[in-house]
Amino acid sequence: MMKSPPTPQTLPVKDAWKPLPLTHWNTETAAHLLRRIGYSATPTKVQQALNGPISKTLEQAFGRVKPNTKSPELSKFETEFFERSTEANRLKDREERRIAQRNIRRESDHLFRQYAVEWYRFARDEANSPQEKFVTFLHDVFVIEQRKIREPFTLFNYEQTLREGIQLNYPDLCKRVSREPAMVRYLDLHQSSARKPNENFARELFELFILGEGNYTEDDIKEAARAFTGYRIKKRTEFAYYDKIHDHSPKTVFGKTGPWTGDDIIDLAFEKPTARTYLIQELLKFYLTDDELPHPDYIRALGDIWAARDFNLKYLIQTVFQSRLFHHPAYRGNLVKSPIHFYLGLCQDLQIDVTPFSGRTLHAMRTMGQNFYNPPNVRGWLYGQNWINSTTISGRRQLVDYLFTPVNEKRLNGNDKKALKAARENNHANFQVTPDRLGKLMKLDPEGIADHLTTYFITAPSRDTYRPAIIKMIEENIDGKPHWNLRNTVIGLLQSPAYNLC
Amino acid sequence: MSKKLPSPLTRREFIRQSAGGGLGFLAFSGFAPAFLTQSAYAQNPGPERDRPILVMIQLGGGNDGLNTLIPFTDDNYFRLRPNLSIRENIHVVDDHLALHPALGQFRNLLDQGNLSIIQNVGYPNPSRSHFRSTEIWETASDSDEYGTTGWLGRYLDNNCSGTPEQADPSAIHIGDIIPQSYLTDKPASIFGMRSSGSFNRRKSPSDIAYETLLNEPHIEGSPSYLQQTMMNTLVTERRVETHLANYKTQVQYPSSNLGQSLKRIAALIHADMETRVYYVSQTGYDTHAGQLEKHTELLGDLANSMAAFQRDLKANKRDDQVLTMTFSEFGRRAAENGSAGTDHGTAAPLFVMGRDVKGGILGQRPDLNLDPKEDLQYTTDFRGIYNTVLDQWLQADAQQILGDQFDPVPFL
Repeated sequence: MMKSPPTPQTLPVKDAWKPLPLTHWNTETAAHLLRRIGYSATPTKVQQALNGPISKTLEQAFGRVKPNTKSPELSKFETEFFERSTEANRLKDREERRIAQRNIRRESDHLFRQYAVEWYRFARDEANSPQEKFVTFLHDVFVIEQRKIREPFTLFNYEQTLREGIQLNYPDLCKRVSREPAMVRYLDLHQSSARKPNENFARELFELFILGEGNYTEDDIKEAARAFTGYRIKKRTEFAYYDKIHDHSPKTVFGKTGPWTGDDIIDLAFEKPTARTYLIQELLKFYLTDDELPHPDYIRALGDIWAARDFNLKYLIQTVFQSRLFHHPAYRGNLVKSPIHFYLGLCQDLQIDVTPFSGRTLHAMRTMGQNFYNPPNVRGWLYGQNWINSTTISGRRQLVDYLFTPVNEKRLNGNDKKALKAARENNHANFQVTPDRLGKLMKLDPEGIADHLTTYFITAPSRDTYRPAIIKMIEENIDGKPHWNLRNTVIGLLQSPAYNLC
Repeated sequence: MSKKLPSPLTRREFIRQSAGGGLGFLAFSGFAPAFLTQSAYAQNPGPERDRPILVMIQLGGGNDGLNTLIPFTDDNYFRLRPNLSIRENIHVVDDHLALHPALGQFRNLLDQGNLSIIQNVGYPNPSRSHFRSTEIWETASDSDEYGTTGWLGRYLDNNCSGTPEQADPSAIHIGDIIPQSYLTDKPASIFGMRSSGSFNRRKSPSDIAYETLLNEPHIEGSPSYLQQTMMNTLVTERRVETHLANYKTQVQYPSSNLGQSLKRIAALIHADMETRVYYVSQTGYDTHAGQLEKHTELLGDLANSMAAFQRDLKANKRDDQVLTMTFSEFGRRAAENGSAGTDHGTAAPLFVMGRDVKGGILGQRPDLNLDPKEDLQYTTDFRGIYNTVLDQWLQADAQQILGDQFDPVPFL
């Protein structure tokens, strides 16, 4: 049965953000937490979580930075990049120059694809999943695009900053992001100077990072833009501040006048009331529900607590994910998984590795609508229902088919053969579901199979309706071959609406 | 004309029949009555059927305008392009302009009054980034403004939403990714398919399990939206597949992606789909090097595919209902580069095809009195063309959709 979302009558505002009572910390809520902060709730993980309080699971997930590793090739490319591109640009002969530039670009694109697969692998590791999911959340606030910022090391460094940012207060993270080469270039800060201030960054800072649309004036943006001057990129890789091109004259932002710097502007923005609620709204949209909460007081109440803790992100994470509101039974099976969630969830649920073929993996993600590092525009992905259309649904179904259909190695191209060989050497080439994997399930009776599949793969609202349908499919065994029939049932379940929700 | 609905089947019968004889869909809809009703009635011409249709053709990569519509009497053209200019076998249109040798079919379309060419189309402060400039064209925004919805998406928001019982998608695109032009604010029924082969996804033995679970009731909100979209996709996939399989035409289309895509669109229009907007891409126009050969191939494919499409529409008596329009994110630099190619530029001509276009060449010729480093100055804003399409063809509120008033271009 569908539970109605909480209202101040059913869940008073003063209780909404209190921690879930220990009596309610059980298989159900633990699985909910794991599916929402990460990508899956495998029985082992649920059991582990229940061995301690919720705060412990959260502390393990977010307590310290778990850095991603930059590959040696990428580091080398980064170190040599400035010199190599300068050299290429200096070539006198047009044709030679074109070829040299093209070679750098090709290497860059190759390293980008490699980095993509490595990131999926890193995030697929259950110990990293919650952290990486939060990084993708931050990515959707602090949007940048690979189409504009092509160098993979710049993207890698940016991502590392977001990862470290989880340990910071939100205003400090905003300040760090404003100095990140990827962001500086993405929003044209490096072209802004006292003489010609560029408003792009100031606008997005207010609209997309801190306050939300409409909570500032055009004059605020114009004035703030003058404070974000003097930011430059040195040797195409490092942030640098040049005091000489900074506008030192007084600016008036949100009614306050002074010789503000960029950091001052960020601090001023956090004095505005909507700074307390904007990020929380985005967070709940990402993790909890597409719909607005039934009453705005819930968010206001949390915003006040958060502001009192200096906008500490870990405090926000601990509070939200432990809260009674977050664990309310209305929030089960109501949120569409993102393509990243869908894919990495499949890998974890089926206990398989990320597909080592970068072209294949990136194409699958693109078809499902989440092209790695390339959101549709500066607003980022919209999440929730917006993931769903005929093309992306076909993409999701195709992906499931692929994971269950053995790859014909003879038909792989050279790059993929190499990738497969490397994956085998590194022991992560187990990327498809082989028939023997269903062996254990085959020993159960149809009811047992249905119980297992519905507990393991889907959430409460669909269990009661899916269970008899699954029993029937197993019993009728229309293919005549029980193994094959079970395989097809599992595929159908993984493509079904219920598995696409969490 | 009314069709009798098949009586509902039990699930057992459904599974048996689907497994045995591939009755799949019909049986499936036996216990999804709403869908069955839709797909059965979809055979009947409804009131929506004779409304105008727009087909967009994207020329991806930036089409070189000066070698498309050639200013063959302008000395500057030959000065800027000592190696890339074209003199031979061009199709002269007027005293100053000629079509590229590969555009013979456009010449015929011009003669029949079925083609309008609008010269030197662009926008202020042009971006030379493929991505960004494509985004500007597709969102119809100013170059310093980041739009989040597409111009056709806003048309769908304004004109096509609120009809959940509508059987067919409001917009169809060929390709895996929804074009930015289609991005809407409200959920819209948009369908994507491929240009050839099984247009979406092969039938698989697990389809029955999927369809069975899909048919279970789902809770309100995202789950039921997801379920509806999945069912719609399934229904549309099968319906489209049937339309494509049943389509017979005497017209020979090029075997290219574009040709085959347009053939599929002709099939769907012929089948009376309610869809108002179609979108297809031809890629490869980013001719930085070795342009002459590549460009000839592309333009030949473009003209032959479009002409075949128009002939087919005419044979089916649908040519009064369809307007086809090309666009490209930018034109190319007036001067050639050192690799027998051209770099990213600004303005370029675009083509509008249909029975009801006025025909001929509109707009001002670009001024080529330029330094080799300089770019063309656009003289027609592309949003003026959108304005005409929205206002005079799709009967929509152009100003509301474009957010501003742009001078319409009188090609209709």
